[in-house]
Amino acid sequence: MNKTARYTAVFAALCAGTVLVLLASVCIGSTQIPFFEAIRSIFGGGEFSDILWKIRIPRALCALLLGGALALSGYLLQTFFHNPIAGPFVLGVSSGAKLTVALTMIVVFRYVRSVSSGVMVAAAFVGAMLSLGFVLLVSRKMKRMSMLVVCGIMIGYICSAITDFAVTFARDSDIVNLHDWSKGTFSGSSMDDIPVIAGIVAAAVLGTIFISKPISAYMLGEGYAESVGVNLKFLKTALVVLSGLLSACVTAFAGPVSFVGIAVPHIVRKLFGTSKPLVMIPACFLAGSIFCMISDIIARMALSPAELSISTVTAVFGAPVVIAIIVRRKRGEM
Amino acid sequence: MTAVLVRNLSAGYGKSDVIENINFEVQKGEILTLIGPNGGGKSTILKAVTGSLAKSSGEVQFFGKEIEKIPRSELAKMLSVMFTERLKPDLMTCRDVAAAGRYPYTGMLGVLSENDKKIVDNAIKTVEAESYADADFNSVSDGQRQRILLARAVCQQPKILVLDEPTSYLDIRHKIVFFEILERLVRESEIAVIMSLHELDFAEKISDKILCVKDGKITLSGVPAEVFTRENIRALYGISEELYNKYFDKNV
Repeated sequence: MNKTARYTAVFAALCAGTVLVLLASVCIGSTQIPFFEAIRSIFGGGEFSDILWKIRIPRALCALLLGGALALSGYLLQTFFHNPIAGPFVLGVSSGAKLTVALTMIVVFRYVRSVSSGVMVAAAFVGAMLSLGFVLLVSRKMKRMSMLVVCGIMIGYICSAITDFAVTFARDSDIVNLHDWSKGTFSGSSMDDIPVIAGIVAAAVLGTIFISKPISAYMLGEGYAESVGVNLKFLKTALVVLSGLLSACVTAFAGPVSFVGIAVPHIVRKLFGTSKPLVMIPACFLAGSIFCMISDIIARMALSPAELSISTVTAVFGAPVVIAIIVRRKRGEM
Repeated sequence: MTAVLVRNLSAGYGKSDVIENINFEVQKGEILTLIGPNGGGKSTILKAVTGSLAKSSGEVQFFGKEIEKIPRSELAKMLSVMFTERLKPDLMTCRDVAAAGRYPYTGMLGVLSENDKKIVDNAIKTVEAESYADADFNSVSDGQRQRILLARAVCQQPKILVLDEPTSYLDIRHKIVFFEILERLVRESEIAVIMSLHELDFAEKISDKILCVKDGKITLSGVPAEVFTRENIRALYGISEELYNKYFDKNV
């Protein structure tokens, strides 16, 4: 069938793209490592082994896992609100997570020298759920999505303001890290974080696949979903918790990253010409990975040796996509 | 065989009941139509009967079983609804939307089997939608869309079908086609149908039983020949004699 061929082709391209960009991400940097040299160093421990294992590989894997997580989180929020411009960044979820993580870091650093990654994710999750809870409260009063987004952006500003305020009171030694992180970057990743990230993201992805069938019914309206036996309360809770967990994980390790959550699912939908959840879920993940790894390469190479924040790059590519979506949708539908 | 039995049903939104003391029953292969003014409680009755609105008292039975005692998954195979919820799914073909009706029958990931696909094809044939089955759902006309939603209900292979004003937006030709398909479907598969309609002329011709609903109560029920008299219709909709004569005299 024609459709199956298209799905296969796009999936093959996405998989190949992920591998290629991952390799490129490992090779490209302030020290250029030739491809075969890199392969040899990864397995044999050549002259670049340290750079590879301590910097490049964790950073690339981080961008891969968290980029996928972010795109999936956006997809889940868009499904939840039945609207293509929902996403963790515009709804203030990322900023909420950023606030709680910053506060936790500042408080904990007073007493101990390091925070475990589990604590960070937990803090981020609390923040993400608080913002999302607030947006949900507002959404009960206001059905219009555009107002909801405005509300989310305001929450984002409030959280950022409090974060900046708190950072001012942090100790000098902490500020350097906090400052980079609060703008969004993959540069701080270490190999120790990877198992934690991989574990959380894998669990959330599996959870999402698990609810892909009820999602497909939910896309045709809540009344309809209920009539075919979907447990709406459970599904809606699952959507919120999974998307919150995914964006919390991203924020805890890389800070807030903008627009990936909106742009990637939109591009994927167009590539496949379908919105079937079982296609969208893995495809969003792969495309998000590619998008973030490329953005990360640009972030570190564009003004090398200086680094751009990841959001600077993702916004340049992502924001036009959002504008395109808004323009294409006819008036009165927002 | 009695497919739907409703006894002393009351339900509402918030504290006060919108509909009170509703009683009726529908047999297999029978069409029951609710008529009455806007805001009179037709939709509320349909929602309370299907369980999408919690009832405050009374009883609803499907094939002799209380609705609360039927497991969700069973109920989904028994009852199909077509409410007025306007949907705008992104990038779904008409076939995709119709296939969604197979939901209660597919496995954990919702993948369609060959048998499911055959059933979807047949449903599309039943509603005469072959020519636009692979078009985007948002790009087809209102009339075609309603037929696809009917196909979705057909895919669900229900024994009871509930429709809320299924033809309100359609032009006269699409209304006729829709009712033709619906009637054929009901007679062939012996589905019990409960629907609300504004089109009195169609209601009279297609229904086996009519319920007149006003102010949350059933004011009159019976076979079409009994119900459709000028006095009944005038009283139900509150139309003066003069206006009735001007617009309906020769029709009803």
